[in-house]
Amino acid sequence: MGKLMVVIKREYLERVRTRWFVIGTVLGPIFFSGLLFVPPWLARREAPSAQIANIEVLDATGRGLGARFRTALRQRLMDAKVPPTGNTDVRVLSVLEVPAAESAAAGRIIRKQVQGYLVLDSGAVSGNSARYVGRNASSIGDVDRMTSALRETVLAMRLEREGLNPARIDSLTRQRLTLSTERMDERGRGGSGRSTIIFAFAIAFLLYMSIVLYGQAVLRGVLEEKSSRVAEVVLSSIKPSTLLAGKVIGVGAVGLTQQVVWVIATMYIGSYAAPLLRPEAEGLPAGAGGGAGAAIASTLPDISIGTIALILGFFLLGYTLYSSLYAAMGSTVNSEQEAQQALTPVLLLIISSVILIQPVMLNPSSPLSHAVSLIPFSAPILMPLRMSLIQVSSLEIAASVAGLVLTCVLTIWLAARIYRVGLLMYGKRPSYRELARWIAYRG
Amino acid sequence: MPDSAVEIRNVFKRFADHVAVRDLSLSVPAGSVYGLLGPNGAGKTTTIRMILDILAPDEGTIRIFGQPNVGEKITDRIGYLPEERGLYRKMQVRRVLRFLAELKGVSGPVAERRITEWMERFGLRTPEKDWGLAKVDDLSRGMQQKVQFIGTLLHDPELVILDEPFSGLDPINAQALKDTVVELKRRGRTVIFSTHLMDSAERLCDSVCIIARGEKVLDGSVEGVKQTRGGVHVALALDGAVPTAVGAVLADRALVRRVDDSNRFFEVEMTDGSDPQALLRRLVDAGAAIRRFEQVQPSLHQIFLQTVGATGVEEGMTGHG
Repeated sequence: MGKLMVVIKREYLERVRTRWFVIGTVLGPIFFSGLLFVPPWLARREAPSAQIANIEVLDATGRGLGARFRTALRQRLMDAKVPPTGNTDVRVLSVLEVPAAESAAAGRIIRKQVQGYLVLDSGAVSGNSARYVGRNASSIGDVDRMTSALRETVLAMRLEREGLNPARIDSLTRQRLTLSTERMDERGRGGSGRSTIIFAFAIAFLLYMSIVLYGQAVLRGVLEEKSSRVAEVVLSSIKPSTLLAGKVIGVGAVGLTQQVVWVIATMYIGSYAAPLLRPEAEGLPAGAGGGAGAAIASTLPDISIGTIALILGFFLLGYTLYSSLYAAMGSTVNSEQEAQQALTPVLLLIISSVILIQPVMLNPSSPLSHAVSLIPFSAPILMPLRMSLIQVSSLEIAASVAGLVLTCVLTIWLAARIYRVGLLMYGKRPSYRELARWIAYRG
Repeated sequence: MPDSAVEIRNVFKRFADHVAVRDLSLSVPAGSVYGLLGPNGAGKTTTIRMILDILAPDEGTIRIFGQPNVGEKITDRIGYLPEERGLYRKMQVRRVLRFLAELKGVSGPVAERRITEWMERFGLRTPEKDWGLAKVDDLSRGMQQKVQFIGTLLHDPELVILDEPFSGLDPINAQALKDTVVELKRRGRTVIFSTHLMDSAERLCDSVCIIARGEKVLDGSVEGVKQTRGGVHVALALDGAVPTAVGAVLADRALVRRVDDSNRFFEVEMTDGSDPQALLRRLVDAGAAIRRFEQVQPSLHQIFLQTVGATGVEEGMTGHG
């Protein structure tokens, strides 16, 4: 046990001291906090901005459609608890004056006096078309709000022409309906739809990245010991299995350290950066800023500590499985180039898990998803993915873990036997038949 | 302590396409300097790896200090310098050495103290420069060899195994290595080293074992080997060019069994029953300008050539089998 610790200590300290570890550890949280803020940012794009009211309406309808549109838009913003800033400037003009007014309005957009301008003509009255030009033309939320306000206005005008009381029309057409979405399947609720999917994908991708990165680190370590011939000195003091175990555990500990730093730093950055996400909420009643805050809260789906522990367990098992394969392959080769060839079968295994991420995400309850989350080589990535999408029965999780543990034991045993022979074997890369013979060597 | 530091009995080791060691038995007396001699590919490295339990023999037993050679208790008492040397290239020298010492069960503070002592002794730590703080990569080859040698001895092993220790050493490092081997013996340690350099073996070893093609050819104390492989040998040195007549005398198979011609120096093995004096007379008659004519014991080199012969070196075998 003491010597295993000596090996672990060396692996750990030598790696933590490298420049790459420091850089990776610092850059990680920046990347991940970026990832964390994409969903709320998307959500915010869907909410109308306060600036939406600061536009010019070029009304060439001759029927006062522009003024009514302004009223409808303001009402809409009040309903969404986003008090409008700036005034909606309605210019009533003839069709012939439109081009000149448009270029004047365009100038005001460039000078940032207005957000944009809306052109209303006979096409708008007939309910066919209207034109908007502005800085926020790509904002889903703003355009949605304007479109529906315009539709409502046109509808109201038509109803009025049919002789309906304007007050009645107002109360009939005004509605504040919002459609909130939530995922549900035969097993029950699982957080709000979009954020869950992003979170699940992030988990699966992180697992894949960590397994590949740390597996590669193990492989390079083995290769270094072999090609520098230091392996023989080390093996005169300890068994190859101790060296292998020490390396896998040491590198795993480095990975765990990095991830703990990442999680803590990301949460820290998150807690400081969250208020920055809703600048429009400043100076407003608390309730008004609630939208963005809720958006952030909803990006962290309802994941229990138990699930996090399980996901961590899957990472450790998956890392152990793949890194022992990487180590075994590393011991059979003499150079990085050869290593890439020898690794092909291992990479195929792990890349097929990545290819399966999408089908599993689309339907986490399909027979395919059930199958691949039980297969030990894809389970470390795909089972946590399913677990963060839907409720997976504990029986299924237990079966997946049991299969993974058994496979790990088998793989480590095989890897140790290949490693033991390969480490002192130089020259041509062995064929699979020779590998089988290595496994059978006694001792 | 038992009489034998290492006791190998009837050991076989086969690899896929050849037998590396065949029915090898030998005994290394405790406290001696023991030479494992043989041509490249004879099975020296394989034998050493089996002693160290890096490889397991297919058959036979190996005992060290009277115990089976498995487990930390035994391997912690052995220091090993492999033929192919190597260290963690990107690690600091001191950290590499400490790692190697800790692998042998030496505690941190003790290791640190010994590293300092050894580094000072080998000139790697002077008041001006401490190479212990440099990376292995920044050291010259000669310095790396010294570091590796220090790593072999940090845990003060009772048995030191050196595989081809002199290969690639410059004369100064070779001298330092030789001095250390002598000092180890003086302190009662056992040293086994493999080599195909017979001169250094002859000067350093108490006992030797010559192996070829995986089999033992002969073993025993250097004196004993020389006596049993006796015959009468003459060391002959001549001045100037060798006249044809002298060459004819040396080629006379009735008188001379073999001659090792090193240009100006000859080692002559007499045939059984022939008289060195007769050879001397005939050489003088033939007009040889003799600077030295001395009846000597055969050199280890001659015995090696006799017993192993040119066929002892097999094609295509490496020391790593």
